[in-house]
Amino acid sequence: MTDEKKINIVLAGQGNSGKSSIFNYLTGLHQHIGNWAGKTIEKLEGTLYYKGYTIDVLDLPGIYSLTTYSVEEVISREYIVTQKPDFVIDIIDSCNLERNMIFTLQLLELECPVIIALNMIDLAKKKGIEINCQKLQDIINVPVLPAIASRGTGLTEVIDKVIELKQGEKGFTHLSYGKEIEKCISELSDLLHDVNLPYPPRWIAIKLLEKDRDIVKLVREKKPEIIEKARQLNENLEDIHGHDSSIVIADERSHLAAQITRDIVKMAPHRKLSLNERLDIITTHKFTGYLVMILILGGMFMTVFSFGNRLSSLLDTLFRNWHGWWNDNIGITFLASLGWSAIEGVLALIQIALPYILPFYIILYLLEDWGYVARISFLTDNLMHKMGIHGKACISFIIGFGCNVPGCLSCRIMETKRERFITAVLVTLIPCSAVSVIIFGLVGKYVGLLWALGLYVFAMIVVFIAGKISSKLLLGEPMELIMPMPDYKTPNLRTIAYQTWDSSKEFVYIAAPLVIISGIIIQAINLAGWMPAISSFLNPVTVTWLGLPSITGILLIFGILRKELILVMLAAYLGTADFANALTPQQMITLAVVSMFYVPCVATISVLWKEYGWGKALTICILEILFAILLAGVVKRLLDFVF
Amino acid sequence: MFIYRHRHHHRDTETDKTSLADIDDGQSGTIVSIFGGRALTKRLADLGLKEGTQIKVIGKTLFSGPVQIEVCGSRLALGRGLASKIIMELK
Repeated sequence: MTDEKKINIVLAGQGNSGKSSIFNYLTGLHQHIGNWAGKTIEKLEGTLYYKGYTIDVLDLPGIYSLTTYSVEEVISREYIVTQKPDFVIDIIDSCNLERNMIFTLQLLELECPVIIALNMIDLAKKKGIEINCQKLQDIINVPVLPAIASRGTGLTEVIDKVIELKQGEKGFTHLSYGKEIEKCISELSDLLHDVNLPYPPRWIAIKLLEKDRDIVKLVREKKPEIIEKARQLNENLEDIHGHDSSIVIADERSHLAAQITRDIVKMAPHRKLSLNERLDIITTHKFTGYLVMILILGGMFMTVFSFGNRLSSLLDTLFRNWHGWWNDNIGITFLASLGWSAIEGVLALIQIALPYILPFYIILYLLEDWGYVARISFLTDNLMHKMGIHGKACISFIIGFGCNVPGCLSCRIMETKRERFITAVLVTLIPCSAVSVIIFGLVGKYVGLLWALGLYVFAMIVVFIAGKISSKLLLGEPMELIMPMPDYKTPNLRTIAYQTWDSSKEFVYIAAPLVIISGIIIQAINLAGWMPAISSFLNPVTVTWLGLPSITGILLIFGILRKELILVMLAAYLGTADFANALTPQQMITLAVVSMFYVPCVATISVLWKEYGWGKALTICILEILFAILLAGVVKRLLDFVF
Repeated sequence: MFIYRHRHHHRDTETDKTSLADIDDGQSGTIVSIFGGRALTKRLADLGLKEGTQIKVIGKTLFSGPVQIEVCGSRLALGRGLASKIIMELK
């Protein structure tokens, strides 16, 4: 009987429809992130307890269509068809109704119980778009409810609807496409009725007309004569329309979407441009757009740096006397020294890493939620083309500045394997927030801010050259940019807080144990007197070629776990976070350059491994190690002229 | 100097058919044909871009970067090379 109180729903919708805001609003802290079986794609699940019901909510990966071949899309449609959730909540961006409607039509073809949430209805009203919800409900015969996810308005009504309909029967109508298409569909679905497949016959029929590879293969195994029939029908359609039958179906859908939209929308004739629309014009303009972009990105790094620096110094004064206190009260025994290394590691993590990582993520998610990231892609598309990829790669790059792992995963937004791989390789060269800790906390703080900014510019030049080279090595035509431009919206602080918390939480949970363990190991090696032996093994590279202190050899090895460990461990080893005593400015810059490029961290390597195979992952690692050592040695020699 | 990615400008002087890449900012038109393979045409159709669709050019970036267009009340950015394969009839 408990089953009656259990409901499972999935959230589906195109990118930028506000799906994640709704997911966060509904499930709050009761969510967990897993992986789809055998895939590196995140599976977001959460639970909502409401009116005595336990409602499991699943956030399907963001998708644009249910027909093309991206992994996300296949996962989504498989889940809907085979797991049969009680309801699919289709989240529609009301400002982009017609485009979203095409997706909705594909969802309805799957014959699953759908409830539509017209999100951002307030923004649509501001744009002069008046939507008649009742009329839409009458046309497509599924419940349609208005919502404003950023404020939580309308979401309770959606869930109330879910509970109300849970008991009743879930009916759906077939929307009809053009006459001759419908004739083809019914001829095929008649043949499909006695074929035992998990999908609705009408949907299979449509997919056969669209020549969907997976479905064609599936049907051929069961009943090859149906494929023959589909081939005849497709040829017939192609003769009439002069297009491939898959395009005929897509046209049909977009035609129907346009018709429905026309029926339910009233546009206000003359109105003034809203502030957001004016902003859009300025930020994508051929001159002011670039100016604004430079100001925003420059401002972002300045803010991260000055905030991080101030907080870091503040924490430094706070923690300064702790070491003395420890020595006075616990003693200077072997165990006490090991204990202090563990503590110093954690303190250094809090003091060196968090002050830079927190503001970085806040600003990154602020720009993303506001809708600015797509503008950066738009403006940099041309530059990206010179590297054999297109503007959307910029999104991966920007995420990569936070952390290379999600940066590499986000390369899936690129359309071809070749572009995905090039983008992933370039992302591994982007200084992530852990490397930024080294750049800001070492070079920025002790050598100068301009040197730190210079290192970023230097990294970008390296990325550009690497892109040029890899696009020459990996043959193939570059794809063209096709990207929806989201409307600007007021950033939702709740969403930003969630995302920042999520990213920093991972940082603390994973980094803290690593810091404690590796801190103790390094101190133990040191106290046992083995340090000279291990370090001398790397001395030819670290001391002779790079001119660094011998200890950096072992730090660079630990840095493979997480890059900020290089600095944090150095602090633990020195027993203080004042690096000016241990390193010269020249050594600081050289160390930063090695850390930036020498190898992706373990987590990034494992993602590369999963996505592209161990051969490619290993090649990237070896090439980057050689490259970084060579480059840093050259930089060191050039710096000889400066310092 | 800057090399244009699109080598073929589909401009037909006898009728007023122009490629999307060559339309001035602020002008509107209707798609007459799309030069592209099945996958591309399908993707565009899923976004509502097909023969007969009305498009308004919002703006272009410098150095033959992408074109921002308005279609079905939504905005879309298209690479300039792709835009040059979409043939339009001006209003």
